[in-house]
Amino acid sequence: MWKSRTTLSEDQINALEAHLAGTLRPVTPPMDVVQRLRERIRFPQPEAIALRLRDWERMFFVFGGVMSGMLVLITVARALYYFFGKRHM
Amino acid sequence: MPDIEFNEEDVLTRASEGDRDAFGLLYERYIDRIFNYVYYRTGNLHDAEDLTARVFQRAMNHIQNYTDRGVPFSAWLYRIAHNLVANWHRDRSRRQEIPINDVPVLPSKGDHPERNLVRSQEQDALLRLIRRLPGERQNLLILKFVENMSNAEIGAIMGRSEGAVKSLYHRTLLALRDQLGDQSINLDNE
Repeated sequence: MWKSRTTLSEDQINALEAHLAGTLRPVTPPMDVVQRLRERIRFPQPEAIALRLRDWERMFFVFGGVMSGMLVLITVARALYYFFGKRHM
Repeated sequence: MPDIEFNEEDVLTRASEGDRDAFGLLYERYIDRIFNYVYYRTGNLHDAEDLTARVFQRAMNHIQNYTDRGVPFSAWLYRIAHNLVANWHRDRSRRQEIPINDVPVLPSKGDHPERNLVRSQEQDALLRLIRRLPGERQNLLILKFVENMSNAEIGAIMGRSEGAVKSLYHRTLLALRDQLGDQSINLDNE
C-alpha cells in the first residue's frame, strides 16, 4: 500500500521518527574504552615520533654532537697511546 | 565539566599553540559524541575505539590548521570522523553486518517483557535496514537521532545547505518506509 505513494503522511513521519528515535539511542562509551583512548592520546604516537625525526634543525645538532663527541674520544685515545703506548714498545 | 568554565574559543587557541591540557578539555567534551557517531557507523566496539582514537590524534596533529570560518569545531571533528569512517569502509571490500548484540537496546520502564522482546527485534530489523542505506543517509540519521542535531548543524558537517539536508532526510524516510513494508515492523500501531 505504501509503495504506490511517493509522499509521506504526517502519521507515517511521526511513526518512522518514533521508531528511529527508539533505535538510534546515544550510547555511553565504556569507561575502560574512554581511559584507553585518553592514554593513547596523551602519549606520543608513532606519527609524532616520525615527525620529530623530520625536524632537521634538531637532527643537525644531534649529528654535530655525536661527531664532536667521537672526535674528543679519538683525541683522548691518541693522547693516551702517545703517552703510555710508546713506553711498552 | 561545567559549561560555565569552558570557553571553547580560548581552549581552541591554547590547543592550537600545542597545549595538550587544553586539547584534553576538548577531548573530554567531544569524546562521547564522536564515539557514538563512529560506533553507529562501524557497528562494533573495537573499531569504534580505534577510529575514535585516530580522530582525536588527527585532530591534535592538525588543530593549528583549524580556523573558525563559521564552521564550529564539532563540525570539523565530525568531518575528520566521517573521512576516517569512509576510509574504513573503503578498506573493506564487502560490507560488514552490524553485530546487533553490541548495540544496547534498553527496555522502557513498565513495559511487559514480551513487548520488550518484540520492540528489540523491531529495532534490530530497523538497524539492519539503516546499515544498508548509503553512507550519507546513515550519517544524516545518526547525526539527527543520536546527536540530536538540527538540519543546519548537519548541513555544516556534511557540506550541504539546510534545504538539501531536509530533502535528503525526506528521501531517506521514504526509502525506509518502502523497505519497512517488506519487514514485520508495524508503523500503523504507533
